[in-house]
Amino acid sequence: MQSTICAKASGQGGAVALVRLSGPDALVLTHTLTAKTLILEPRRQTFCSLYDGKSVLDKALVTYFRAPHSFTGEDVVEFALHASPYIVGRLLELLCRAGAVPAKRGEFSQRAFLNGKMDLVEAQGLCDLIASGNKAAHRVAMASLDGKLSEKLGEVKTKLTDLLAQIEVRLDDADEEMPPLCSDSIRQTIEDVLTSIKTLTDTFSVGRLMKDGLKVALVGAPNSGKSSLLNALVGFDRAIVTDQSGTTRDTVEEAIEINGHKIVLTDTAGIRSHALDLAEQEGIRRSRRAMEKADVILFVLDASREIITEEQALWTDIQKQQKRTILVLNKCDKAPAPVPALENTATYTRVVVSCKKGEGMDELKKVLTAPLQAVATDGLLISHLRHYEELLRAQTELEGALLQIDQKAGGEIYAEHIRGALAHLKDLLGEVTPDDVLDVIFSKFCVGK
Amino acid sequence: MFVCSKQYDVIVVGGGHAGCEAALAAAKLGACTLLLTQNLDTIAQMSCNPSIGGIAKGQIVREIDALGGAMGRVTDRAALHYHMLNTGKGPAVHSPRVQCDKKIYQFTFKHLLELQPNLDIMQDEVVRVTTANGAVNGVDTLRDTHYQTKTVILTTGTFLGGTIHIGTVMTPGGRYNDMPAVLLSKNLSEELGLHLMRFKTGTPMRINARGLDYSKFRLQPSDNPLQPISHFTDEREQQKRKFLSCYITHTTLATDKILRENFQRSAMYGGNIHSQGPRYCPSVEDKIKKFPEVTSHPLFLEPEGAHTEEYYIQGFSTSMPEDVQRALIASVPGMENASITRVGYAVEYDCADPKDLYPHLESKIVSGLFCAGQINGTTGYEEAGGQGLMAGINAALRVQEKEPFVLRRDEAYIGVLIDDLVTKGVNEPYRMFTSRAEYRILLRNDNADLRLMPHAFALGLLDKKYQSAFEKYRALTETLKKGADTGEVGETLRPWSLEKARAHADIHRKYEGYYERNQKEAEKLAEVDAIKIPEGFDPSSVRGLLFESAQKLRIVKPQTLGQASRIPGVTPSDIQLLAVHIERFRRLKRVQKTA
Repeated sequence: MQSTICAKASGQGGAVALVRLSGPDALVLTHTLTAKTLILEPRRQTFCSLYDGKSVLDKALVTYFRAPHSFTGEDVVEFALHASPYIVGRLLELLCRAGAVPAKRGEFSQRAFLNGKMDLVEAQGLCDLIASGNKAAHRVAMASLDGKLSEKLGEVKTKLTDLLAQIEVRLDDADEEMPPLCSDSIRQTIEDVLTSIKTLTDTFSVGRLMKDGLKVALVGAPNSGKSSLLNALVGFDRAIVTDQSGTTRDTVEEAIEINGHKIVLTDTAGIRSHALDLAEQEGIRRSRRAMEKADVILFVLDASREIITEEQALWTDIQKQQKRTILVLNKCDKAPAPVPALENTATYTRVVVSCKKGEGMDELKKVLTAPLQAVATDGLLISHLRHYEELLRAQTELEGALLQIDQKAGGEIYAEHIRGALAHLKDLLGEVTPDDVLDVIFSKFCVGK
Repeated sequence: MFVCSKQYDVIVVGGGHAGCEAALAAAKLGACTLLLTQNLDTIAQMSCNPSIGGIAKGQIVREIDALGGAMGRVTDRAALHYHMLNTGKGPAVHSPRVQCDKKIYQFTFKHLLELQPNLDIMQDEVVRVTTANGAVNGVDTLRDTHYQTKTVILTTGTFLGGTIHIGTVMTPGGRYNDMPAVLLSKNLSEELGLHLMRFKTGTPMRINARGLDYSKFRLQPSDNPLQPISHFTDEREQQKRKFLSCYITHTTLATDKILRENFQRSAMYGGNIHSQGPRYCPSVEDKIKKFPEVTSHPLFLEPEGAHTEEYYIQGFSTSMPEDVQRALIASVPGMENASITRVGYAVEYDCADPKDLYPHLESKIVSGLFCAGQINGTTGYEEAGGQGLMAGINAALRVQEKEPFVLRRDEAYIGVLIDDLVTKGVNEPYRMFTSRAEYRILLRNDNADLRLMPHAFALGLLDKKYQSAFEKYRALTETLKKGADTGEVGETLRPWSLEKARAHADIHRKYEGYYERNQKEAEKLAEVDAIKIPEGFDPSSVRGLLFESAQKLRIVKPQTLGQASRIPGVTPSDIQLLAVHIERFRRLKRVQKTA
């Protein structure tokens, strides 16, 4: 059974983006996003709403091509959408959730060729495309991922492989002498792995970033210019999506769009309305909460004066968060910006701005959205979406294992789930073969006749 | 030189567990077959333990049996003790194991071979496989006789260039007191160009039961009721046999001390052995060295036969000198006064890289040459038997110019075994484990018949008289799986029974969701496996493959896209690329044809 694959089929830029879905389930998967009653006539464009749950994701032109009269020779549905990275990303995510698989590089063309839709001359270009994907994927696999990330991945791999070895060694033990594995310890390991996977999905969650926006906390001492920075950022783009009040009555959240990406700015303004000593405590508490929820912290400093004790304390707090932090040196119109007299600032990105004159705003926006730009490039978005989907599927497997442990189903069943999880994580962790498991068994257990 | 005038289709070299199954299968399929072995009295000899089956191995025996092989039936005829392993765990890993009377096993098998039409057996040693234009055409023997044949199956076991080690004493031998095949080894590597490797295995000492203190052992009686290992054995008749017991004891701190003081005197650690032994069957000195914290290792006493007092001591495999072996025996509770009858030893032997074989076990280097058993780097009677059977079938099919018979990984442990060997190769003697099977839920002891007998009937490996009973049984299991009940079925189902069908249906229901999942995965695999790599197409020459992948493809020469995808390190993109290039190659061929 061929899988049904999806991917963005149009290039960067433009007002319209094209998403293609190809395979036997193309029509069924499309109907999970449209009104159930929608009739898609072959080769005719239909203007309709695509739903994300109950809300409308986008109004799009949808075209169905019935096999074999399509680009790939399979059932194909094409979606012409508004070219927002969020809409495109979310559509792909929803299709994958419903059962589609992100297409590999060149996979549409590959199917077209195998189904006789492409001639031999065209095939050469296709081969070059796949080959370049092969090299790129290999580079990604070889490149050392971000330290923490690869550490977590390594942890997941070791834990699952060891657990599998613990189970397998008992299944293959002819002496029947080995004490059974305690189900609490299996559960504990699986729960630990699930926690790690959660951390990973949080990191990889392009879908979440695109849907909920990149959460940015503006922190700084009173009068450093947080509010004017907020206004400057909002004002420059004028594309205010929502204007909602924050979780506390004194926190302001502004959602803006920069280069098609949703950014949610949180300003901890308004703390001065309380009594002074109380205000300080409350200010620190609120900054902390905003920082905990944020993806990025903007630490706003008044470059025209010396660092004050309040800022020293705040800096200590910021460092504890271990989040992506940008130092924004404001009021550069008043004086040249010095390197702030704070510890360990060398490794942090610094941007010099003047909210008043609007200087440095472009630079700040570029720095702010750089990671989103990276994932939004076509190939990488897919590969990250793939990884994200794989992590979610592995998670479902492990949750299935926990259910079976409750029912005391037996080692061979737990092993099915752990093997399933490892298979889903193959691209991220590298393959764990039976020989790898046997290596663990022979190094840890004295088994054999 | 005497040239035998008879034209053989298949000549099997070696009469061990692989050779016997190979000869029987080839002859059954109508091939004119000759089995040549150094010594007819050691046909089907159990050189190591007196038992057949075990975890994953028991499943292989059931598969051999379902495909018309003899191992299961002979085992039931020689059975001394039945034990179903892993009954405390799920039915997917239940594995039968049967202790056998070694002598009865041997002469029962020999008699079967003698009765088999189309099969000659002859006592002589093969020293050379002769070829013309890269294809096998005959064999020469030590007596200077030449036999003509279309195919040869090598099942040389541990005899190819075998060396026996006891302490620092080294003697040529394939088994203690049996001469190795030295000339053949030279012929294979120097004249035929096979890539030979050197592996090691070992066996423990045997002792006389007289003088054993059974009160210090734990008793393991034979299962009651028992389950015969062959599908064709009537369990009611089998139940009436007389059974012997096995015993369990363990090593002590004294054992530990003896081993530690004598490490340097063992062949393993004294420096005489450099070849790779199986990690699963470590010698007792290995266990002490690698797991110093474990101070007591289990030992399992297995009776060697009904007409002997000899016991085999599983867990005591060693290459220590004789004086140490005697001391070791005396250090074990219950064996203090036992006398040793045969010393344990290590044996080194030549095997050939199985990556040089096609999945139907024919050599890529010499056409018409097949290899099965330990020569392919495996260990175990069952692994050998399974390969022997497949080599026998495929040699006969080749002579008859029919399509090869290859089992998939989701069909049989035999399929997993051979695919692993030819696709990944070996770097230690290969033993089967259930953990090697990705479709473990599908490959069970209780469904070997349902999995494989349809193939066996189609090929003509099983007597047609069983077919109607099998079809009835199959239909019955389908009815029961759907939850419907059925009335009396009577004796027409024999050797199957309603109880068996019920048990199978229960197991199936337990695993239903997993069974379906395994099957879906397997179907996906079958799709890629159905894409054959066309003749004349060299996958390693495809541009854009990762360098390492191209190298591996060059060595393995996969037969299908599926096999290519299972080569370690070959990426999904590599496979994508190959898929396109294979289609391109086909179309170009078509264009050339019409032009």
